[in-house]
Amino acid sequence: MSALCPPPSPAVAKTEISMNGESPLLAATFAYWDNILGPRVRHIWAPKTDQVLLSDGEITFLANHTLNGEILRNAESGAIDVKFFVLAEKRVIIVSLIFDGNWNGDRSTYGLSIILPQSELGFYLPLHRVCVDRLTHIIRKGRIWMHKERQEHFQKIVLEGTERMEDQGQSIIPMLTGEVIPVMELLSSMKSHSVPEEIDIVRTLCLFLTPSERRCSRLCRNETSFKYESGLFVQGLLKDATGSFVLPFRQVMYAPYPTTHIDVDVNTVKQMPPCHEHIYNQRRYMRSELTAFWRANSDEEMSQDPIIHTDESFTPDLNVFQDILHQDTLVKAFLDQIFHLKPGLSLRSTFLAQFLLILHRKALTLIKYIEDDTQKGKKPFKSLRSLKIDLDLTAEGDLNIIMALAEKIKPGLHSFIFGRPFYISVQERDMLMTF
Amino acid sequence: MISAPDVVAFTREEELGDELYREPPLPEEYSVPLFPFAGHGANPWAKVSSSKFSRDFILISEFSEQVGPQPLLTIPDDAKVPGSFDLNYFSLRIMSVDYQASFVGHPPGCAYPKLNFVEDSKVVLGDSKEGAFAYVHHLTLYDLEARGFVRPFCMAYISADEHKIMQQFQELSAEFSKASECLKTGNRKAFASELEKKLKDLDYTRTVLHNETEIQKKANDKGYYTTQAIEKANELASVEKSIIEHQDLLKQIRSYPYRKLKESDFHAYEPEGTLDQAGTSSEQDLATSDPAEPGEMHLYSRLPSYTPKLIKAKPAKCFDKKLKTLEELCDIYFFNQTLDQLHHIERTFRGDVCYLLTNQISRALLKQQSVTNFLFEDVSFLEEKAPENQYRGCQGLSQDAADRKCSEESPAPKVVISLGSYKSSVECVPIKMEQDMGDPQEPSMTESITFEHQENLDYLDADLKGSISSGESIEVLGTEKSASGLMKSESQASLPISPSPQVGRSKVGSRRTVSEDSIEVLSTCPSESLIPEDFKASYPSAINEEPYVDDEEGGLRFTPRLNPDNADEQEDVSNQENLAQIDSACCIGKESPSFLEPLPGLGQKQCDEDGVVRIPPQPYRQAEQGLHGSLVGSPPCDGAPGGLLPHELDSRCPTAGREVSRTSLDECSDSTSYISSAASTCSDRTPSPAHPVCLTNERHKKKAGQNALRFIRQYPFAHPAIYSLLSGRTLVVLGEDEAIVKKLVTALSIFVPNCGAYAKPVKHWVTSPLHVVDFQKWKLIGLQRTVSPAGVGVLHALSRYSRYVSILDADSKTLRCPLYKGTVVARLADHRTQIKRGSTYYMHVQSVLTQLCSKAFLFTFCHHLHLPISEREPEESVVNRRMNFLKLHLGLANEDVKIVQYLAELLKLQYIQEPGQGANPLLRFDYVPSFLYKI
Repeated sequence: MSALCPPPSPAVAKTEISMNGESPLLAATFAYWDNILGPRVRHIWAPKTDQVLLSDGEITFLANHTLNGEILRNAESGAIDVKFFVLAEKRVIIVSLIFDGNWNGDRSTYGLSIILPQSELGFYLPLHRVCVDRLTHIIRKGRIWMHKERQEHFQKIVLEGTERMEDQGQSIIPMLTGEVIPVMELLSSMKSHSVPEEIDIVRTLCLFLTPSERRCSRLCRNETSFKYESGLFVQGLLKDATGSFVLPFRQVMYAPYPTTHIDVDVNTVKQMPPCHEHIYNQRRYMRSELTAFWRANSDEEMSQDPIIHTDESFTPDLNVFQDILHQDTLVKAFLDQIFHLKPGLSLRSTFLAQFLLILHRKALTLIKYIEDDTQKGKKPFKSLRSLKIDLDLTAEGDLNIIMALAEKIKPGLHSFIFGRPFYISVQERDMLMTF
Repeated sequence: MISAPDVVAFTREEELGDELYREPPLPEEYSVPLFPFAGHGANPWAKVSSSKFSRDFILISEFSEQVGPQPLLTIPDDAKVPGSFDLNYFSLRIMSVDYQASFVGHPPGCAYPKLNFVEDSKVVLGDSKEGAFAYVHHLTLYDLEARGFVRPFCMAYISADEHKIMQQFQELSAEFSKASECLKTGNRKAFASELEKKLKDLDYTRTVLHNETEIQKKANDKGYYTTQAIEKANELASVEKSIIEHQDLLKQIRSYPYRKLKESDFHAYEPEGTLDQAGTSSEQDLATSDPAEPGEMHLYSRLPSYTPKLIKAKPAKCFDKKLKTLEELCDIYFFNQTLDQLHHIERTFRGDVCYLLTNQISRALLKQQSVTNFLFEDVSFLEEKAPENQYRGCQGLSQDAADRKCSEESPAPKVVISLGSYKSSVECVPIKMEQDMGDPQEPSMTESITFEHQENLDYLDADLKGSISSGESIEVLGTEKSASGLMKSESQASLPISPSPQVGRSKVGSRRTVSEDSIEVLSTCPSESLIPEDFKASYPSAINEEPYVDDEEGGLRFTPRLNPDNADEQEDVSNQENLAQIDSACCIGKESPSFLEPLPGLGQKQCDEDGVVRIPPQPYRQAEQGLHGSLVGSPPCDGAPGGLLPHELDSRCPTAGREVSRTSLDECSDSTSYISSAASTCSDRTPSPAHPVCLTNERHKKKAGQNALRFIRQYPFAHPAIYSLLSGRTLVVLGEDEAIVKKLVTALSIFVPNCGAYAKPVKHWVTSPLHVVDFQKWKLIGLQRTVSPAGVGVLHALSRYSRYVSILDADSKTLRCPLYKGTVVARLADHRTQIKRGSTYYMHVQSVLTQLCSKAFLFTFCHHLHLPISEREPEESVVNRRMNFLKLHLGLANEDVKIVQYLAELLKLQYIQEPGQGANPLLRFDYVPSFLYKI
């Protein structure tokens, strides 16, 4: 195969990344659609390994393929589309994020791709959303960066009267690098840390997840703790020597679902607000971040990470983690009951499976109930009270649990049920009470 | 906890004023929408409804060498489905790149054209503006006339839901790979036969040319070659070269399976179902289509006779020729199979992804609950290894199976499903036939039995009509009749209908008839510390009601007399005795020592003790139920002492279906119980938009749910009725109109716990008198009320057992059954529920029943509840502990306890069964006062 691939053009830059463990990622590429030459690769990121699984020529060949056909692209404004390839002939899978952007004064189409061996399909699919979410957001930022670069580029041309090709649009690369490397590391850590380690609670909690969610959960690492990664379902983190640890606000906000923080040393459980509120906060945070980015005036401002742009008019609510106040019957009964069964006879796992089945069935019934009641969203949902009575979810905790599960299989349900998506929890609770 | 620098990006956009910022605001295209779901109409369903096509569909496109990408067909083949969606444009988009990058033709250094067996590529892409997302499966077919011998095709699953495609990627990929493999197998076959024809043509042409050259040679005596001759010779040479090339191609295409089979991940397409629909394919196709060793060679070599024709050496110009259609490219049989597979895919993945996901999750979870699944789950649903294995086998049957599935007269589909996976439909047919053969027996048997009990009919009618005048008032019926009565009556039994096997049994039965009164019987479990005095004290009515039975104005008349002296008062003694005989059989069945093996010559005590002690955790006993006596009967499997008739037992024992048609004594009972089970178990499915059987189930489920919803809204006494079913008390729905009764039975069937793995104990419609064994088999029975003589027998038999069963009279809208004061059923069947659709209600019922199952499971397998903590701990305290557990830990009130106890009992029975043996149905009588409910 490699014989058939031409060597990449010398303009292709390559960043080799040394990884701690095995990297399931073969390479990441950034390509663009050149109006004369067609798809062109601009940058390659690859883990530094002894054995070359894919030559640069092959990587280029594959990356070019990701943009093929994109001349026909028909996307919503600002859309970042995902393409996913399983190329059995090449034994690879490619995930490409295709987006439009302004660069060098031209509007063009770009593609950021990651390439994995086909054998990792099963490993990758559960992590698809995490990877795509993260890369999508960095593209949002990078796109702004490209746009600004262009403006500055023109200013330079005007000032200096010269045009230097090498300046063009390069600046998106470091920004992408800033996210591609963590994604590589994340995948690598997911590869290595499926092996159980000392924090048992992670494994216990994973019992409540579906198999694919479990594959999107990570145990903690003994030597040096992992950092928090948004989008994992359960992850074990270690405190540092002083007994403290840092939960990065941005990552917590970027997570697709609200996070629950469990401290096994002091036995505390704290939760973020429910999903609709979390999503609302997340979107506001993202927008403000991008806006701040848009307004950044200098390279220094932009290149700093995390970016320093304060807006005194708004202080985010740092107190995102709160104690759980509501009561539930489902989990409480489950915990009361399961320990009556003798361990080691797989009785408990059967009981657990029953418990999960009950939750899933209730969640689906809830979705169906709302679907019927609102004629698939055509009418507003008004009868939360009836729902609670009819489906036996009168305890607020029960409703929260079932709603959370339903949200996973029917995204947007929270926002839809609770009307305006930005009710804060207290308001929501009040609303629930008034029903 | 939270790192400060991350916080800084927060801004409040709504407060941004232009005066503060000179810069233009962030263009929306660079931003993210504030409400991710608002863009589509702000609801979770809008995404799909806003797309141009009404539902998911499959598109097959080709990259034609003449006209470029073009759509060929859609599945379903209905113009309404794609709607205004531009298929041409989308084909262009998905076919615009050759992701397979195959190289066919003359690779450098190779003398002959080389076929490249490229692997399929899978791509997920979308058109976010149109809201169309697609899983695209690229494949290449061979065509001798095509450029480079290849024709690129793709099959695309198009959906408006991007997440659905990614979430189901592996499943879609697996299913489409099968379709592709099928298409390619057919194509290779067609290609090979095309090559052979071409070879014959070439051979013929060569012969012709050769002859012509020879003629020319002979005619040529000039000593040099004419231009004509040289031309001919060149032509001949090119034909010969062509022959060699084509032979090589043929060799390549034939060698394909062997090469590919060596690769680990290659799954050869095996045509499993060979159906009528594939009638065009000859038998040899079927026999040889398996690409395993000799098959493939055979496949390619056996061709219909072909008359070769002269061909021109030069091929037609590219645009002159007409390209083959997809159908022509592929053997017709395989083409149809592929279409079937694609239809199957469309059916499997259609609909909302949340149902698909939950279905998959539920299936995985249910697999971990093998102990409890039989109660309310459709076991066949779990046994389907994968729907893909079924579709071929089912195809031929699916439609008519679907039509008949839920009607009582269609036994086939259920059994068909429970077979799991089929190799071919050929296997399905005999199974179906076998059951069909069973059916015709039913009418003849039922007709053969006639009972003439006009008086009893009158009694019954009187009872049902007017015993109570006020709607809410409740009558305590005089139905507490001691079981000893039964025991006695059995001892006098003589059996006119089917004497021979009965004799032995009655003897055995008589051993047990020791007790003189009801209290004795109630305390037949000696290990129980139930004191008769206690019993009397708290439930005087149980005894005082005794004479009430004989009163004229009593409740339902219970015909078998306590006292043998009364027997002559009966109109039809023999009949009664027959019935009583069966009664006794059941009682003895209960007494019979074990579930697994019988112990001969057991005394009463021993029997009881054995029946209990053998089973860890211990089975249900009377004392646990307070003062309600209950007899738990489980017929022994191997027909030894004290059980049912040998032939009955035989019919019960078989491992596969317990409900085999029976003869002689029991002939009045219906031989087709599997029918009802077939019809009713299909209601146990979780939602699944999957294959045809599932679709039928969906429909049935919806219907059952609707009927149930209507039932709980219309009948104020729905709770006690459902309680009866859940606690194992047989409910008889009595009515004149078959449709009404069946509707009620369908409605109530969703509440009936299964006794074994395969049969739901529901009988939709019975016209013959009921026997005790029927109550053992069926927990829900639809019974015909007629005024004909046969009907009298029916009602007579019913009145006879009326105290052991609950009776819902569909005509007079009354219900006679025990009182229910629990809370579980109230949650299950609240008449004020706002649930609008039957399917939703069904789902609700299913989740509540799962909760009940879970409680029963916990109760059954809590070791400390069933075993004494210390050796000296009295049985009483164990029983107390159990009751406490039920009440305090499981939060069960009043009668709910009995529901969980009954389910636990079923679990126990199922658990101790030998694998492969179905659990024996439980015969259990509760001597509980019944009440009459009226609307």
